[in-house]
Amino acid sequence: MLPFRMQFKTGMPAYGQVVYAVKKAIISGGMKPGDRFPSVRTLSQELRINPNTAHKVVAALVNEGLLEVKPGIGTLVADAQPSTRLQRGDLLNGEVERVVVEAKKLQLELADVVRAIEQHWNRLS
Amino acid sequence: MNNVIETQGLKRRFGKTDAVDNLTLAVPEGSIYAFLGPNGAGKTTTIKMLMNILEPTAGVAKVLGVNSTALGPREFTQIGYVSENQQMPEWMTVSQFIDYCRPMYPNWDTAFCGKLLKQFDLPLDRKLKSLSRGMKMKTALLSSLAYRPRLLVLDEPFTGLDALVRDEFIRGVLELSEEGNWTVFISSHDIDEVERLADWVGILDGGRLHLAESAVALQARFRSIECVVGEAARLPASTPRSWLGPEMAGHCMRAVESSYQPEASEALIRSVFPDASQISASPMSLRDIFLALARTFRLND
Repeated sequence: MLPFRMQFKTGMPAYGQVVYAVKKAIISGGMKPGDRFPSVRTLSQELRINPNTAHKVVAALVNEGLLEVKPGIGTLVADAQPSTRLQRGDLLNGEVERVVVEAKKLQLELADVVRAIEQHWNRLS
Repeated sequence: MNNVIETQGLKRRFGKTDAVDNLTLAVPEGSIYAFLGPNGAGKTTTIKMLMNILEPTAGVAKVLGVNSTALGPREFTQIGYVSENQQMPEWMTVSQFIDYCRPMYPNWDTAFCGKLLKQFDLPLDRKLKSLSRGMKMKTALLSSLAYRPRLLVLDEPFTGLDALVRDEFIRGVLELSEEGNWTVFISSHDIDEVERLADWVGILDGGRLHLAESAVALQARFRSIECVVGEAARLPASTPRSWLGPEMAGHCMRAVESSYQPEASEALIRSVFPDASQISASPMSLRDIFLALARTFRLND
């Protein structure tokens, strides 16, 4: 079993979906610093994704500082969170842009978006 | 990088029809190559030539560096082949069938075979003829995986399999990834079956190859673009050549950009629609890219 929940949606590249699912699990506490992260092979087999995609997912998460490779132990959820809040905020850029584009298409006001975000925020806190 | 399969001008004629015509194909080592196309596109004919079951009318195919017409028992210890209409000795039990296959492969891995048997949940003492289609296909896959081939060739393996068996089948194929140099060549008429598995895609139709590219390259150059345009805007008679299937609905213009570059693509939209606003370009899944291409090539399925 994988330590994060993954339900693929059609129409979106698999790579981004897996990266997002892992980030969500780390931020929401589903995976905690020091937790072991599945190997590339396990990831590929459990998710039925191309091993190269699985490799790219792990490399990207290591690169962003969310996972760390401990020689002889494996890949773990990293202790050190990205150093500043601003940097962490950057992780959300793409998602925020998508939400804003969708909201504008729906002709919503900023306040509507903020309210919707608040609802989800409170549900997870 | 080495190519595990390489063909040049490969052709096969049946009567007056070219089932495969001038096919030049390269399958890089280490890839999971999805060979896609509608039924009747020539996929099975191609694979039969690669496996030395059919002789080419013209052209050459090399598999693991050997001319396909010279492939023999020695090469086949490195190749696993499972086809939709796999011929099997129906009167054998699963366990007899495994005993029958094992001596042909000096590289047979008994422990791996045991692991797969358990994973596939196969009944050792049942005769092959009494097995369901799914179980038969899993048995065929097992007998092609157990010697850890360098090249696995699967011809429409998922036809008639239910979702659960298909899932087990894919999981089984991925078991091979323990090895460093393994390559999978898998034909399918349905992109959904192989979307997350493939990292190379070839599209065959009418015996001809329409496209052969890595998934990474495809996903880098394809974007679904969308924008809102002003009053009374119409799609001009000629649109940029890199746009596939541009459509207008109300004030919304949608197209698939096939050579995406952040700034250039936006400038291109503005050159066609000077008042375009809310321009967006979203990455596409392999499936959506395939569907956009299929519509453009008018693949008939």
